[in-house]
Amino acid sequence: MTRELRVVGTSVPRDDAIDKVTGAARYTTDLALPGMLHAAILTSPHASARIVRVDLSDARSVPGVRAVLMGSDLDVRLGLYLRDKRILARDVVRYQGEPVAAVAADTLDAAREACRRICVEYDELPAVLDPRDAMAVGAPLVHPDLAGYDHMRGVFFPKPGTNVAHHQKIRKGDALASLAAADIRLEASFYNPPVQHVPMETHASIAQALPEGRVEIWTSSQSPYTVRHLLSVCLGLPHAAIRVHVPYVGGGFGGKAGLGLEPLATVLSRAAGGRPVLVSATREEEFNTMPSRPGLHSTIKIGSTRDGRITALEATYVWDAGAYADYGVNVGRAAAYSGAGPYAIDHCSIDSYVVYTNKVYGTAYRGFGHLEVLWGIERAMDQMARKLGLDPVEFRRRNLLKEGATTITGELFTAGHGKPVECLDAVAKAIDWGRPSDAPSAPHKVRGKGIAMLHKAPAMPTYTSCAAVIKLDEDGAADVLVSGVDYGQGTYTVLRQIAAEELGLPIGKVHITWDCDTALTPYDWQTVASRFSYMGGNAVIEAAADCLRQLTAVAAQALGVAPETIVCEDEAAFPADKPDRAISYKDLALGYAFPNGNAIGGPIIGHGRFIATGLTHLDPETGQGRPAQFWTYGAHAVEIEVDTETGEIEILHIATAVDAGKVLNPLSCTGQVIGGVVQGLGSTLHEGFQFDGKGRLLNPSFVDYKIPTAKDLPRRMTPIFLENPQPGGPYGARGVAEHPMISVPSAIGNALADALGIDYAVLPLSPERVLLGIQSREREKTP
Amino acid sequence: MPSGLTLIEFLRDRLYLTGTKEGCGIGECGACTVLLDEKPVMACLVLAVEVDGCTVDTVEGEATDGQLSDLQKAFVETGAVQCGFCTPGMIMSARGLLRRNPTPSDDEIIEAMAGNLCRCTGYEAILAAVRLAAAAVQPVAEPLTGETGTERRRFLRGVESTRKDGWR
Amino acid sequence: MLGRFDYQRPSTLPEAGRLLAESEGPVAVLAGGTDLLVDIRGRRHDPRILVDIKRIDALRRLNVDSAGALTIGAAVPLNEMIERAAIRRTLPGLVQAAESIATYQLRNRATAVGNLCNGSPAADMAPILLALGAHLVAWSQRGERTMPLSSLFVGVKKTALAPDEIAAELRVPAPEPGLRSRFLKQQRLRGHDLAVASAAGTYAPTTGVLRLAVGSCAPTPLLLEPIEVGRSSKAVVEEKAVRAVQAAMQPISDTRASADYRRTVLPVLVKRLVSDLLAEGGAP
Repeated sequence: MTRELRVVGTSVPRDDAIDKVTGAARYTTDLALPGMLHAAILTSPHASARIVRVDLSDARSVPGVRAVLMGSDLDVRLGLYLRDKRILARDVVRYQGEPVAAVAADTLDAAREACRRICVEYDELPAVLDPRDAMAVGAPLVHPDLAGYDHMRGVFFPKPGTNVAHHQKIRKGDALASLAAADIRLEASFYNPPVQHVPMETHASIAQALPEGRVEIWTSSQSPYTVRHLLSVCLGLPHAAIRVHVPYVGGGFGGKAGLGLEPLATVLSRAAGGRPVLVSATREEEFNTMPSRPGLHSTIKIGSTRDGRITALEATYVWDAGAYADYGVNVGRAAAYSGAGPYAIDHCSIDSYVVYTNKVYGTAYRGFGHLEVLWGIERAMDQMARKLGLDPVEFRRRNLLKEGATTITGELFTAGHGKPVECLDAVAKAIDWGRPSDAPSAPHKVRGKGIAMLHKAPAMPTYTSCAAVIKLDEDGAADVLVSGVDYGQGTYTVLRQIAAEELGLPIGKVHITWDCDTALTPYDWQTVASRFSYMGGNAVIEAAADCLRQLTAVAAQALGVAPETIVCEDEAAFPADKPDRAISYKDLALGYAFPNGNAIGGPIIGHGRFIATGLTHLDPETGQGRPAQFWTYGAHAVEIEVDTETGEIEILHIATAVDAGKVLNPLSCTGQVIGGVVQGLGSTLHEGFQFDGKGRLLNPSFVDYKIPTAKDLPRRMTPIFLENPQPGGPYGARGVAEHPMISVPSAIGNALADALGIDYAVLPLSPERVLLGIQSREREKTP
Repeated sequence: MPSGLTLIEFLRDRLYLTGTKEGCGIGECGACTVLLDEKPVMACLVLAVEVDGCTVDTVEGEATDGQLSDLQKAFVETGAVQCGFCTPGMIMSARGLLRRNPTPSDDEIIEAMAGNLCRCTGYEAILAAVRLAAAAVQPVAEPLTGETGTERRRFLRGVESTRKDGWR
Repeated sequence: MLGRFDYQRPSTLPEAGRLLAESEGPVAVLAGGTDLLVDIRGRRHDPRILVDIKRIDALRRLNVDSAGALTIGAAVPLNEMIERAAIRRTLPGLVQAAESIATYQLRNRATAVGNLCNGSPAADMAPILLALGAHLVAWSQRGERTMPLSSLFVGVKKTALAPDEIAAELRVPAPEPGLRSRFLKQQRLRGHDLAVASAAGTYAPTTGVLRLAVGSCAPTPLLLEPIEVGRSSKAVVEEKAVRAVQAAMQPISDTRASADYRRTVLPVLVKRLVSDLLAEGGAP
């Protein structure tokens, strides 16, 4: 794109920031509907048990209680890809924390008191907690009825009679033979524990049941249309019967991508005679009841020539999906087709198993399996480099995808994909790779440097689409309507910038509607996968072009000239050679009136859409196909200092390069990188669910689940943006939302290996884990 | 006034001041930070009955006559707001800091703000906003229009170079 | 709502004492509330009456006398202690301990006395106050009694206070001239956290006595036997201190850390502490 851009590419601040800094912004729990009831949830204390008896009678007698429900009251089954879940557990509970009953009452206190008075008798069953145990023959089955569940056929393949919800295969070439024949082989295993998204706003939904089975919902969600669609399916209603509003959302990170508390709020409202019901998760429920990021056990084998050319890669990924499939099956699928890293590998075999366990269920999380997979892949790459006696940067340079290579699903890598090698070189330079660190700040400290690559494509259906509408106001300003959600990423500002650019409007005259409403704002698939700027941006460009066509047509007619002679600039339409005959947008926005009173035209409303193009399903046996609309590549380089006596790691400098194609808004792009890197630090250094032997979550609160604070920042963070354009992207842009988080743990793990000579395989790299690793290495050394 | 009513419940449910947010209910996340007699506290761990005779400042009082405060403008300018859920608490912690210490060092800013969790921004832009407000640098563009101008670019470059050099 | 309890706010100690002695049902003393209210919300505590002591003048006193002896009333928030210049100057270890607690917001409410009375083995104020030889004054209708701080801790979350007693104030004796004090706390991250292991110490150059106390490694915070430094080298003293800690500690594995990690890291803290305290020409 060679044209001079006026607004796109500048650091326009967010317009919603005003509402947010003044406290005027209303999130779901800030809304109050007349007669609104409050809900409380009773959850299971057991990881696996039969529900023998539920006694609600005492609960019903609490004053102010308007509805009490248990699982056997409801005949609804939910699931995005595999319908394996109930709104409230029925017959059995499958994880500690699973909702078993719920109450709606005039006050939250009454609802909670009523919950306390519900008596549930359980018969504990054997629980399976490790997905590897769950895959063993004879393991207790989390879903004995797997065969009977509806699922997205042709895409997901559950194995009835087992705990395997999905098995994704990649078979390119002959990895088995190639590994056997390789000069050098490496095998390593890794583990990521489940973690939680920790949005600052917990899940919350309000539902109001209306006549004829209709329902109106206000919810903290990333995907209003998905909420509508899934409810339509599971309640057996036409889509128009369900109306979903999304007010401001306080963070999502994937945890609010699918169905959350909307179904429960809906059935409670129905049971309460149509009174609106607010269900809002406490922070403990957010950790223990709402979904997590699936854990992952990975085993990776790499074969290489003596001079450092990777010939084969074999990986086995065993995902700990928890009690329900939710997004987990798709994470297992997507991570498989990305599962060898951004490298040119001729022979590749990947088996990705999504496995049920009796723990809180996994869902989408920023990175969609890629952080977890690349923890193993990028650590293994470093280990292989060391085995070969090669510099890890050089080893990667030799093997990164370049033009003409094919990915492991057989996709051809082109110039339009971006330049992973440039990303690698940029971060290596930023931390002065190759030059040893300065002396550490104390004798018991050691420094090290590490590097890791990252890549991701949006994991989405081959037919994913979205639409945008732009309507002009009486004053000639433009309103953009979309149903992707801006829950902090900044996409709405980017869409305003695009509309302003295309329409020739100043940014201050482009507005965007912050409330999504499935009755009013046009379809968007889901706000996940780093595809909203790309797809929404393209839809807005098309909608703007549609507006311009309409403006041009009316102006041409008004001026009596051919439409081809009209240009639209500076909020007006005029013949290119006669700017003095300009008609301003505001005189065209609702139609044009001639001096004598005759009117032509009408309200200017432009629409645009975008649908994924060229994507194919993956072959069930080989995984070959084209799953990716675009790939975004990047890298991190990090320098750390380790206290060898306490195990504490300090990040001295982390440099992050992303090939963004085009930075649409430097301020928000930088915000995504800094935010993503810090969230990545959380996964690296502090975060991880801990369960006891009976599958009970031990750290369901901020007391023992720690996320980074302002004191935990690296000394220095350097975001670096490359702009090798993406064909088909708006102004050449690619998505970058998830990417900054991916591979942060890998880079730090590699730096730790450099600093200490110890290969850590398990996250988080807490001071305890690091120190105990140092200790056991010391013990090994001592004869 | 029921004894068991917390300050945050009182503010949100009785006074309809919903700017103050609940993030955890146990004083760990800072989303509910308000000023009690000028001092930042967690409103979820204060009983409404305890504040009888005290002053309470919430985010709704930060702007005057519809004019954003220097702190609010700075938050808008530096990109310190993403999902916005932590923002009211952040602003109140910052306001408490600037009232007691108008010229805080970087370490003092971090100490004052470290009790407020954020999951979106990675904190840098927030710390930059507090530093900006403390330095009494006036953001030169009205946040809503966001016109790019030489002044503005220089201003933001200043902020960005702060981030590039790190916080220590 | 947190719960169904009555709220009383006496303005004198006798009034408070009467409430504790004569009320029906469990009574709890409310100062900062940063532990109590969390426990009530989590239904680990169900008092019928909360007695707010923050308006009792006698309990709001924070006094440093001319000799440097300290009186800390039960209603004095940690930040007030932290910001008192005289305390910063003479007892930096005390300030370090207070600063390590939670967050700035919580320190505007939480109190040193409250931190101790919560009875946690991880109480951050305990080790330094033990090393400083602090005493706790407990007040009830039956009278006033003073106990060495070490007598307060009876078990995990159990103190020696009777149900009708209010912990009224802490008394820290005047420090020896040039007394050095330090507190070190091992956390899981640099942000606010409970202690995984902690250690505090004082060293009086005039007497050559080193006093150490440790936390989060036994059912209660532990005051160790004083060590006469004499002419011993730093390495020898460190060795003695580490052996004393190792002999006394009974670390457990919990959600925060394993016993192994505590056993490894506590001696590290102790060594660093001793090294800092004995440093040549060291500041208080």
